[in-house]
Amino acid sequence: MQKKLNEMAYDEEGVVVKIEEDLRQKIAGVGIRTGKKIKMITKEPLKGPVVVMVDEAKTSLGLSVADKIIMEV
Amino acid sequence: MRVLLMGHPNVGKSVFFNRLTGANIIESNYPGTTVDYTKGYMRQFGEDIEVIDVPGTFSLDPKDKAEEVAVKMLRDNKDAKIICVVDASKIERGLYLLLEIIEEGFPVVVALNMWDTAMDKNIQIDAPELEQILGVPVVPTVGISGEGISAVVSKLKDITPVDADAIVERMGGI
Amino acid sequence: MELTADQRWELIEKISEKTVKFGAYRHTLKDAIGDLTVRPSTGIPVAIAVLYGFWSIFGSFAGTLFTDGFMCKIFDEHWLPWMQSVFPGGLGNWFYAIMVDAGHIQNGMLTASDNSFESFGVLTSGLFVPFGVVLPAIFIFYLMLAFLEDVGYMPRLAVLIDTLLHKIGLHGYAIVPTILGLGCNVPAVASTRILETRKQRFIMMALVATFIPCGAQIGIMQDVIPESIGFVMLYLFIGYFVMGYILNKVIPGRAPEILMDVPPYQKPMLKNIKRKVWMRTSGFLKVAVPFVLLGCLIVNILYLAGTIDWLGNVFAPVFEGWFGVPKETAGPLVAAFLRKDLAVAQLSAIHMTKYQMITSVVLVSIYFPCVATFAMILKESWKALLGSLVVLLIAAFGWGGLLHLIWKLMGVA
Repeated sequence: MQKKLNEMAYDEEGVVVKIEEDLRQKIAGVGIRTGKKIKMITKEPLKGPVVVMVDEAKTSLGLSVADKIIMEV
Repeated sequence: MRVLLMGHPNVGKSVFFNRLTGANIIESNYPGTTVDYTKGYMRQFGEDIEVIDVPGTFSLDPKDKAEEVAVKMLRDNKDAKIICVVDASKIERGLYLLLEIIEEGFPVVVALNMWDTAMDKNIQIDAPELEQILGVPVVPTVGISGEGISAVVSKLKDITPVDADAIVERMGGI
Repeated sequence: MELTADQRWELIEKISEKTVKFGAYRHTLKDAIGDLTVRPSTGIPVAIAVLYGFWSIFGSFAGTLFTDGFMCKIFDEHWLPWMQSVFPGGLGNWFYAIMVDAGHIQNGMLTASDNSFESFGVLTSGLFVPFGVVLPAIFIFYLMLAFLEDVGYMPRLAVLIDTLLHKIGLHGYAIVPTILGLGCNVPAVASTRILETRKQRFIMMALVATFIPCGAQIGIMQDVIPESIGFVMLYLFIGYFVMGYILNKVIPGRAPEILMDVPPYQKPMLKNIKRKVWMRTSGFLKVAVPFVLLGCLIVNILYLAGTIDWLGNVFAPVFEGWFGVPKETAGPLVAAFLRKDLAVAQLSAIHMTKYQMITSVVLVSIYFPCVATFAMILKESWKALLGSLVVLLIAAFGWGGLLHLIWKLMGVA
């Protein structure tokens, strides 16, 4: 099933299938790219950011960024 | 010789820097900016080598002003040698920055820092093989205890730029 | 040769496959704590506890223990009387007034000051303020901040507060300039660089310069108005969000969202902490001490020349009518441009009600960045400086006037 990164539940894991073009370069440095396994660590309430785990590293992303990443879970 | 210390934020770069340089550390603004950077000296190969601690950056596509300065410092020092400090437990994203620096044509030594943490996390890295593939020296280090740091320094002398094409070729193209 | 981001990652995956083996990873207690302190249900209570602890230690160590218990005794009981007895001239002499003690009129008599806040001489208050009150406050502040930074707590705090700061056009990392500003506004302005766009950096600078009182000022406030300091801080913080909200709506430009690493906790390194505290504290002293001494000197000369009284009279309608504070507040406001701590110390010597005092302290905080911060913003860009000045004029009149209105409604003004 496909869903957006910010729609994933706590501790849910998924693989990135699509990242919006204009975002790709920006998040490449933190290791988020298509085909990568990502685990949701936490979501902050009231449209706050998400914290995800990529390669054993935790990275926090704003909601509108997480909104542009499509996951296969 | 001038050496730039580059790497992601939180890879133990400043601990590394403190180990390399003596007490004579200068903290100042990079010209034309309000971003601080730290500079020091180490005595090696019979000369005083200037060591610059570049602000942490994830890539050479800057996303904020501190990263912009990191990139500017790299571009302003075309003749510098680079120590790229990589968190061994997060090696893949470290390689991303490393490849970008190699593509820019700089001679690099890779310090696989936090080697102990990587071991604790059960991550095994074949450093000699990695060195073969990349064509640049790769040295496991533990910044906090100082392990491997003198090996990194000794490699600085003979490094030359490598061709990213050759790396692609060794991996059978992309 | 230049690769694209996708090509680079493809290459890295191939390399990684040949050289790296990821074994089974067992999560440690450290990871668990790391996650708990960033999840809202557990992280927010922890954050509140951390900030509260920070504030209590700051207040008890710097204010009560060190300044009141130790420094005040040294300066008021030994240094001031000694200066008063050995310095040539004595009360009434102009040079003595500038350097040691101008005295004050009591029962029609020129009387010597009995504490180092009121004497206001270059060699008495000029030394007491930076070394006796502000240095302990700044030191303990930077020590605790360096500890939180070194352990790796700050990024978690940034993530937790991101939601709130995003509403004012900033993002979580803006917590760093904000907290640094509670130490000294100068490095806080410099640290706005971690924000991405010009718009974000401007909002941050303007807010730091107006609504964030610096550690020097807070240190003095703890000594002069210990019972109202909580209210003053709260009022300023609310102003910070209200002004931020307006600026975010008014100023054009992008406000990108947070994108940063949340590193694992680590054991703090004594050497790192020592270096940071030393760099920041010595940096602070270099900025503060000359300006405090200069501030005392200039303000005293302006008093003797009658300039302050003149300013007070000219602006009396504004002071008394709009803000509801005595016109003598003119003096401290002039001093505030040089040093905010000096200004609050000087306010303590003016006779006024508790509520007028609160308004004056809020005004001192908002009204103008101290000259060092001023220079720092100018270095960033003159446009940012002009913009900040407009913001703080609006803020001072709006937020200061509102406070007067509140007192009126409460029937205490």
